[in-house]
Amino acid sequence: MSETCVVGKSAPRVDGPAKVSGKSQYGADIDIPGALFLKVLRSKTPHGMVKRIDVAEALKIPGVVRVFTHADVPGENSYGIIVKDQPALTDQVRFRGDALALVAAETEEAAKQALEVIKVEIEELPPLYDVWSAMAEKAQAIHAKGNILTVSRVKKGDAAAALRTAAVVVSRRYTTQRVEHSYIETEAGVAYMDNGILVIKAGTQNPHYDRRDVSRVLGLPMHKVRIIQAATGGGFGGKLDISVQCFLGLAALKLGRPVRMVYDRRESIAATGKRHPFLVEYTSAADREGKLLAVKAKIIGDTGAYASYGPATLNRAAVHATGPYEVPNVDIEALCVYTNNPFSGAMRGFGTPQMAFAAESQMDLLAQELELTPLEIRRRNVLRPGSLTATGQRLDHSVGISATLEAAWEKAGRVMPGLGGEVK
Amino acid sequence: MLNLSAYHQPKSLPEALALLGSSGRALRPLAGGTDLVPALTKGETEPLGLVDLSRIPELRGISRVDNQIRIGSLSTFGEIENSPLLLAVPLLREAAAAVGSPQIRSQGTIGGNIANASPAADTVTALAALDAVARLESAAGSRSVQVSELLCGVGQTKLLPGEVIKEILFQVPPQGSRSGFVKLGRRKALAIARMNLALVITFEAGRISRARVALGAVGPNPSRRPALELVLLGQEPSRTLIDEFAMAASKEVGQMLGTRPSVSYKREAVKGIARDLLQRLFFGAGQVVG
Amino acid sequence: MEKFQLKMKVNGRTVTVAVEPGLRLLDVLRDVLHLTGTKEGCGEGECGACSVILDGELVDSCLVLAPQAHGKEVVTIEGISREGELDALQRAFLTAGAVQCGYCTPGMILAAKALLSRNPNPGRQEIARGISGNLCRCTGYAKIVKAVELAAAELQQKEGAAGV
Ligand code: FES
Ligand code: FES
Repeated sequence: MSETCVVGKSAPRVDGPAKVSGKSQYGADIDIPGALFLKVLRSKTPHGMVKRIDVAEALKIPGVVRVFTHADVPGENSYGIIVKDQPALTDQVRFRGDALALVAAETEEAAKQALEVIKVEIEELPPLYDVWSAMAEKAQAIHAKGNILTVSRVKKGDAAAALRTAAVVVSRRYTTQRVEHSYIETEAGVAYMDNGILVIKAGTQNPHYDRRDVSRVLGLPMHKVRIIQAATGGGFGGKLDISVQCFLGLAALKLGRPVRMVYDRRESIAATGKRHPFLVEYTSAADREGKLLAVKAKIIGDTGAYASYGPATLNRAAVHATGPYEVPNVDIEALCVYTNNPFSGAMRGFGTPQMAFAAESQMDLLAQELELTPLEIRRRNVLRPGSLTATGQRLDHSVGISATLEAAWEKAGRVMPGLGGEVK
Repeated sequence: MLNLSAYHQPKSLPEALALLGSSGRALRPLAGGTDLVPALTKGETEPLGLVDLSRIPELRGISRVDNQIRIGSLSTFGEIENSPLLLAVPLLREAAAAVGSPQIRSQGTIGGNIANASPAADTVTALAALDAVARLESAAGSRSVQVSELLCGVGQTKLLPGEVIKEILFQVPPQGSRSGFVKLGRRKALAIARMNLALVITFEAGRISRARVALGAVGPNPSRRPALELVLLGQEPSRTLIDEFAMAASKEVGQMLGTRPSVSYKREAVKGIARDLLQRLFFGAGQVVG
Repeated sequence: MEKFQLKMKVNGRTVTVAVEPGLRLLDVLRDVLHLTGTKEGCGEGECGACSVILDGELVDSCLVLAPQAHGKEVVTIEGISREGELDALQRAFLTAGAVQCGYCTPGMILAAKALLSRNPNPGRQEIARGISGNLCRCTGYAKIVKAVELAAAELQQKEGAAGV
């Protein structure tokens, strides 16, 4: 009988040998003879309405087969994991990098040359680069429903009352930056028609969602679309969103020829999602013994031009705003806001790393006020079996944070002797 | 792919000079290519024709005759870092070792580092401290110019059309000298220097009888700083001297950068690299050359 | 313009191809010779995914124009294993769990190979320096360093055994 139990053992990776010998095929490695090269013309303007796209000159370049614009999108020209707000090819520019036209050509050179000569007329609108201007009363709406996309709230107890009577109250404002995933493989893939079925092979973290969005944008029934995940060179959340898939699908479907596409690093950085920059106004209150009494926070996440995973990220941020600590009174509000920045989506931790920065900084500040050590204030507040979370969930099984904290402290003491002079 | 108008791979220097001389500026010399190739790929440099210098034996090799060292301009950073002939000039080996990454060091060349005229070029700071001279060749003849004189701004050199750097020449510092190079980058590898510093100090009877100090990435090109040399001259090595030098370096950087946004950072940071390097040269192990 | 008659040795085999001189060595390997184990991550010498060994030296093939490789010998990841047998480094990367997405792996292995050929018994710092031109976004490097140590130890042992 074959060994079935692998728990607790190091099992060899099934894809390991292919990867160490260079045989794994990533999106850009797939050899499809006769494939056309695709390139996207991206907007240099951050905000505006597309008035006209003139592709006549581009079509004269030898080797250029076709140039697609928003007018050529056969289905619903909008995709998105949570909100369908991102066009495959757009007639309204919402960030510098929005896709305006797609060139298919016999060679990469011809496709690149074509990008140079496509003329685009855009009626520019004032760009909204920060959440405050985007939330201002008279701000131009980036999407029809306005610039505040979602508001998530977590409320427990009476935070206002607790803040009025607490022994110590600490209030600070935190900002975190936009972060690029920089997976080492840029977005790439191929597509072809196979017996009336559109096949797309690309690096992705989300083949099933890709399939849904591709079929929507191309107006094809789901069973006519097949997505095959090519070996994927890192994603970290960034490859959950559509990148090359709709372009590949559109061109293969319309032209009936295999197509391929690779983003270079610049395009990868310019066109794809980022970690949400956060702005957090955070107030914490504790009693004399350092027990947390209340947390009140307002979180604003800049989701940029499109929602992507924004609503979920801000929701997660609200839920995790109190960190791994038990807080009896909680009042959190998290807003997901559109701006004309590159869009923000999923990235490792989904809004919680940003909140950890704020929440842990608050703990240190409270400790300082109370003349406790940073370790001690955490010991007194970590979630334990039986604790109630900010959302009111009773943790009645195991809760690891206390043991983790002690183990980390013990290890820190070993690798950094005399750490902070703190007495255990 | 780059659209090159021509690609030549001459096998001798006269052949290369003839090609370059007759082309006006239509042909560009190609050394290691670590800067030029990506610049061309990204369209930052107008694609012209290239004259690949890599097959020209006259441009290669490192040699020493008496106290003079000659480095062929196509010598790579890796060759310089590992050349036993250059043990006498730790600052240059250290500067070469600080460039880019193993990949860049096996391809990038010292001649390219000069001709590229980056304010942060690591080996150029060391060459400035060595008072190195570049021998230039063209179809019309040859001339020698101090490396620091050859550079005249960010990305600008006084190289004439059709002229190439053939070799770099300098004297080994006198008996009793110590030298070193230090670089401040955002990370250890593949970082363009935020600042770099090269020093040659000669001791005679316990006092500093000769000092060469060069700073990079604080002006358009790396250059010697006579004011800082004066701080060291005639002094005995001591902790106080290190402090004085660090303060003077901070002042010098402040003056050089004026109101540039980087001034407040670099004015502080230079103290750190100055202290590290002087500490090492004054009190570090070994290293006196003779 | 006129094509360049490029002749070089790739993984032990002589190849002669007429190429546009503006092609990078990386493009020749991937698009002309279909050796797609060599990857492009940045195209400007920052990531090392395109690393190959050129005449014994580790280079970024995205920074080398094809004609610059003329007359030289290139080793790519496809030339590391012999007759389908994985090389010590390749095995060590698997054992140490130094491969996640695998996209940096070919370049990383070549960087390690170049290091070990020069310094068969490198310390941690030397390994770190040897792979400093290669970015890995997944593993965090500790396991990669471990893998290089493992391979070095295995090769040393073999040497030792052969010497007896
Ligand atoms: S692709 Fe060559 S170094 Fe990144
Ligand atoms: S394993 Fe993914 S980048 Fe190294």
